[in-house]
Amino acid sequence: MQRTDAELVRDILEGREPAFAELVRRYQDLLYRHAVRMTGAADEAEDVVQAAFVKAYRGLARCEDPERVGSWLFRIGANACKDHLKARRRRRTTPLEDVPEVPSGGDGAAGEAERADLRRALDGALGGLSDERREAFVLKHVEGLSYEEMAELLEASVPALKMRVHRAREELQGLLDGKV
Amino acid sequence: MDERLQAYLDGEISLAELPPELRERAGEWDRLVNRLRAAGPAGAPLGLERRILEAVTPPRRRPGWLDWLLRPRQVRISPLAAVAAAALVLAVAVRPWSGGGPVGGDAEVAGHVYVQFTVEAPGAASVHLAGDFSDWQPGVALADPDGDGVWTGRAALEPGVHEYMFVLDGTEWMPDPNASTFTDDGFGQRNSVVAVAPLNGT
Repeated sequence: MQRTDAELVRDILEGREPAFAELVRRYQDLLYRHAVRMTGAADEAEDVVQAAFVKAYRGLARCEDPERVGSWLFRIGANACKDHLKARRRRRTTPLEDVPEVPSGGDGAAGEAERADLRRALDGALGGLSDERREAFVLKHVEGLSYEEMAELLEASVPALKMRVHRAREELQGLLDGKV
Repeated sequence: MDERLQAYLDGEISLAELPPELRERAGEWDRLVNRLRAAGPAGAPLGLERRILEAVTPPRRRPGWLDWLLRPRQVRISPLAAVAAAALVLAVAVRPWSGGGPVGGDAEVAGHVYVQFTVEAPGAASVHLAGDFSDWQPGVALADPDGDGVWTGRAALEPGVHEYMFVLDGTEWMPDPNASTFTDDGFGQRNSVVAVAPLNGT
């Protein structure tokens, strides 16, 4: 029977390393997909997710609600993304559309060039949004979360998140006009 | 953007509830979102889990000269040398403690400076120091030999700025209330901050 999140946390804190591996397997996909969408670069997303899990591992004793360790991990990952983007902006001014393309795990050669063009347009448009709006839009439309689920993950109110998503759509509409 | 279209995209109304002139636009958004989902990765790449696990499990290192210095061993010492050593210890020990946060600068070993940490934790069975200098693992054990609830211990730190916390009974993390500086730890609490200057002031 699969251990609950709270049981995993307890086992990790008691020093049973395989439990942490299971926690990583359980949540790395969610954190990675989000990091790719936020950073626009697969290699940077890997670094961000690794740093987030390391930070979580070291601070696991401070997770106040082990039953919801997934939300706690996601918040650490989301904050790591935003910190990474801030640091990147300080280092350089490369717009998101110029960073290496995210691999799609494609489904054949037909239409690949067209899809690549579209991907660049989408990544470029997402990169034009503020971090908060991009984060909210990605969670709503790429991860398919409800506003209530987003509110728990981001510790923000539902009306505030709705506003961010609405503004993001309006901006994207302008940025992608004629490209979709 | 039309509020009815926003409501549709939020999942609050169905496509049929939209006026005909907005349905085409709604379809464009649906296609955009589907493409966005399809364009991204389905999950983490192979190897990321291994990278993470390696990062949290520090490799075993070979004992170095610092381990040699720190390993306890018996020494033979002449009475004259013992007197000189006792005088040196006395000279260090009589320095007044200023209170309020960690106190540094007692001695410097191989670029490290001993910093004394003191915290009031009556009722605790154990108090350990954890910080960026120990990869946030509870390391140096503080002692309360007279049982008055005031725990003290010394850690050898490299000169620089370090974040730290105390770990009570192996589970309860608390910042040092005597620290002069704090920083957000990213988990909703604060880390204490200590700045360690090199003894020679360089």
